[in-house]
Amino acid sequence: MNENEQDFGTLQQFLKLKRHETPPPGYFNNFSGEVIARIRDEGKAGEFSTEAPWLLKLLQLFEFKPAFAGAFASALFLLLVFGFVFADRPESSPQPLLQATAESSNSFAAVTPVALAQSSESTGIIATTNPATSLQPVASLFNSQNPFAQQVSFTTGN
Amino acid sequence: MIMAEPAERTDQEPAADAPAVEMDLVRRAQLGDLRAYDELVQRYQERIYATVYHMTSNHEDANDLAQDSFIKAYQALKSFKGGSSFYTWLYRIAVNKTINFLKQRKNRTHMSLNDLDFNTENNPDLVALISENTPRRDAGLKELQEKLNAALLKLSEPHRLVVVLHDVQGQSHEEIAEIMDCNIGTVRSRLFYARQQLQSLLTDYLKPA
Repeated sequence: MNENEQDFGTLQQFLKLKRHETPPPGYFNNFSGEVIARIRDEGKAGEFSTEAPWLLKLLQLFEFKPAFAGAFASALFLLLVFGFVFADRPESSPQPLLQATAESSNSFAAVTPVALAQSSESTGIIATTNPATSLQPVASLFNSQNPFAQQVSFTTGN
Repeated sequence: MIMAEPAERTDQEPAADAPAVEMDLVRRAQLGDLRAYDELVQRYQERIYATVYHMTSNHEDANDLAQDSFIKAYQALKSFKGGSSFYTWLYRIAVNKTINFLKQRKNRTHMSLNDLDFNTENNPDLVALISENTPRRDAGLKELQEKLNAALLKLSEPHRLVVVLHDVQGQSHEEIAEIMDCNIGTVRSRLFYARQQLQSLLTDYLKPA
């Protein structure tokens, strides 16, 4: 082995040149600080990933597939527009039903929860604080044509 | 400043109680004490950086890989049982990370070399080498540095690592075997082969013995 080391003596001296390659001055002054800062940051990210892993996955997906992020943003925007449009649109379908009841009796506005409670005792109508569509005569529960829009009628007592 | 040169690092020789102090720092770091880990980073930052730098010949890559190695070591610190020294364990992490990086990088080698320090021209061995032993006496230090790094990059990662650890950083065969998780015979044969390769790659600059 000594022979080999002698053979490579010049090369080994040449390789010592690499020991003189040094990073920029002051490089190691900040090195450990940067490492510790990154450990702290990754620790926070770790806490975040355990609290909301699905959100982290979503964010990672956005990071690696920017097209997906664009599609997601577009979908959110469309949903927002859709929401605005339908929020401003006046409700039209329940009106005929209300008009029908108004013709047969007093105005709908005059029907108060107290009056409903009083009338339910005599007519069998269940009065609740739920919307009007849930107020159904018990007898007509299985006879309705349309399960989603049932005709509502109120009869006030004498 | 000379990086990671064991033959000349007598000033950095650990004190007699150094292993105990180191183990204490490791235990504190395992419990989440970042100040203790900061001290460990400061102890080994130069040697780890130097190894990675000599393997990549690129300062920016070496910076990223050295930082990543320390971060990975901190994350895996709980699994460190003290079977080897912390230093060897840390070295293994850095070396594996660097080799994986180099395998991915493959043919995209871009050198970003550090400057030679001001002691270079005053080093009698190097002056003698360039003025007497080198056929290319007209070559400047910068040119020699580039040729040497280019030749190193032509070696396979395991061969380059052995040369870097032994001839540049001055580690013993036993230490290298432990770091590379192989036997001493393998280290010796890799070193011999790597030197042969380098010798033939640098014939213009090296006078045959």
